[in-house]
Amino acid sequence: MKVPLAWRILTYDKRRTALALIGIFMAILLVFVELGFFYAVPRGGLLLYDNMRFDLLLVSDQYEYQAQPGVFPLDRLDRLRSSAEVQQATPIYFGYAKWKGGEGGVWPDVFVIGSDPASHAFIPDSIDQQLGVLAKSDTLLVDSATRPIFGALDAGRVVEIGDRNMTIGGQYVLGTGFMGLGVVLVSVPNFAGLFEDRGASAVNLGAIVLKPGVNPDRAAADLRQASGPGTRIFTRKELDAHETAYWTTRTSVGIIFGSGLLISFVVGIMIVYQIVSTQVGRQLPQFATLKAIGYPDRSLVTTVGAMSLLIVIAGFIPALAAALGLYAIIRDQTLLPVTMSETRLFAVFGAALGMALVSALLSVGGLRRADPADVF
Amino acid sequence: MPLAWRNLVANKPRLFRSAAGIGFAVLLMLMQLGFEQAFFDSSLNVIRGLDGDILIQSVHKYQFATRDPFPRTILDAAAKLPGIASVRPLYADWFDFFWKNPFDGKVFLVRAFGFDPDRPVFSFPKVDENRKKLKDADTVLIDRQARRFLGMDRNPAEAELNGTKVRVAGNFTLGPDFQSDGTVIMSDRTFTSLLRGPGGNPSEVDLGVIKVSPGVDATAVGEALRNALPNTVAVFTKPQLIEFERKFQADVSSAGPIFAMGTIVGFVVGMLISYQVTYTDLSDQLPQYATLKAIGYRAGYLLRVVLEQAGFNALVGWVPAWVLSIVLYYVIGRLALLPLRMSAYLTLTSLGLTLGMCLISAVLAVKRVIQADPAEVF
Repeated sequence: MKVPLAWRILTYDKRRTALALIGIFMAILLVFVELGFFYAVPRGGLLLYDNMRFDLLLVSDQYEYQAQPGVFPLDRLDRLRSSAEVQQATPIYFGYAKWKGGEGGVWPDVFVIGSDPASHAFIPDSIDQQLGVLAKSDTLLVDSATRPIFGALDAGRVVEIGDRNMTIGGQYVLGTGFMGLGVVLVSVPNFAGLFEDRGASAVNLGAIVLKPGVNPDRAAADLRQASGPGTRIFTRKELDAHETAYWTTRTSVGIIFGSGLLISFVVGIMIVYQIVSTQVGRQLPQFATLKAIGYPDRSLVTTVGAMSLLIVIAGFIPALAAALGLYAIIRDQTLLPVTMSETRLFAVFGAALGMALVSALLSVGGLRRADPADVF
Repeated sequence: MPLAWRNLVANKPRLFRSAAGIGFAVLLMLMQLGFEQAFFDSSLNVIRGLDGDILIQSVHKYQFATRDPFPRTILDAAAKLPGIASVRPLYADWFDFFWKNPFDGKVFLVRAFGFDPDRPVFSFPKVDENRKKLKDADTVLIDRQARRFLGMDRNPAEAELNGTKVRVAGNFTLGPDFQSDGTVIMSDRTFTSLLRGPGGNPSEVDLGVIKVSPGVDATAVGEALRNALPNTVAVFTKPQLIEFERKFQADVSSAGPIFAMGTIVGFVVGMLISYQVTYTDLSDQLPQYATLKAIGYRAGYLLRVVLEQAGFNALVGWVPAWVLSIVLYYVIGRLALLPLRMSAYLTLTSLGLTLGMCLISAVLAVKRVIQADPAEVF
């Protein structure tokens, strides 16, 4: 009888229940939005790696994070290529150059990624389909998320980059992450042409693909011995942890979104408590009557618990839908990879149910004391 | 004592609950607004610290934090114009100076500025105090507010910059922004000697810092400079350059929309909480309101009481949130090295938003009171 009773209490005053639902809806939405931001920053920092093919990453021991990786000599990577565990080892080059064709005559800095097109180092289909274009001399592919300040990004446009005229061969879809406002992809000879002082012997990243069936952890241990001093090897898992730690501890974004998240949790708890306690408080005379006619406390507590759970479940579903919609808008507006994960979805759901139960138990304290004689 | 106030304090636990609910929504808005202000301030503070009325930079320069040098001879031409008291060059770089933390040997990219120690360009007091010391070769001033992993806050006497040993002659307080973790200031000579390759060309400067003669209008001088100088450079008054940078940051960074979204969500949440509060209050006090109506009070009076009460609710939530946010600004500002501080703008904006959300929700909830029929309530 508890659940049907809870249901009937909720449907009795529809307006008040709707109000409670909107409250819960907003509380959950708020938590989702802050969570989305909190996780989006490290995800944005990992965007390039998430779109690259490798099992192990060889970097300089000066490696800070993706956009400040340091350099190591190419022969370190060549050494590993001959290892029995390694299928492919691809050097990746990074550089910043002036894009001398921005809107209104400005020269924005562009992040240039150099790699051998034949290595298939990047996952997006839009890159794979244009490898022929990429291999042409003085040609580049530009990331479709490159900002409007760079001017038109149409294929065929010739832009002076650094001291070289480069032709836009096409666009690819990957995202600029925290690499800069604009990102372009070029072949190794084109990269060496753009950065003449540097050439192709100073490498930023070595993307290592292992032979099928090779355990990455074991291979990493073996290759660390072979790669020589001044370098470092990351497995995927280690790299994920390193980049996430960088963005959450080294920059202020972790604290900014972390504190936002914390406050949103508190606000969420306040709302749920406020709503549940109001709902219970309003039914006090009715509950007292039930008590007077002999219902035990336990049965009333279960009713209150069922009531709060019903509200939270009913508020959660639209909040989830709205959060997904809002994430899409935020992705569009900020180019941050704000996404929903199953873990977060269930964590928020669990937290909301937990909050509701705790608030129900707190507000039921008043109910236990409810003396039928007092209420009337 | 107004009726609204007595209504408010009649039930203390309820007052506490509603103040806490509204207060946290306000706190959420204050944090978001504060972060937004701090984001912009952190990137604008360095421009604000330039001791000049007019600033000249390459016409291609799209944001402050990028190197785009122009010939120094242009500054010599500018100095000849009437109404100009001084023209001083600033060398600046964001991509090529690597600082080695003297405590752990790790190397990090830092922002670097160079100027002639006899012709200072910064108005940071400690920079001015120590500038003569920069005349010695390979001597630098460092930012004690730089991110801790650089080790600049630990008063090192020596460090390495681009592989060259440098002596630390003093420090100043600026803080990082969202592009640079720390700042090193040195003489123009040290700057160009530490930058190898074409970057270290002393005849190319990044910024011209101009002071106009006393009593001369900077905007007019700026206009004259614009006409006199080649169109490869852009001339800004200091407020114009600050505005240019603010606009750039607002256009390209995600900070604006992110913090605006947070503020809006806080506002809506606050509105809901306050609606809930007002609606519950009104439901509880419906008999009293109906009585007032029955004995002849008009709807206008009742509306005023409800709105006053909503206003009090807003204040009771806002005041503790405002105080708490000052504490949080201080703590988070220290932790995140952000220029988070309470300002008149934040105070007024948050107060306006709080009153707005409480009054709007009161108007939405008040219908019930106005329509209350004394005969029905009892």
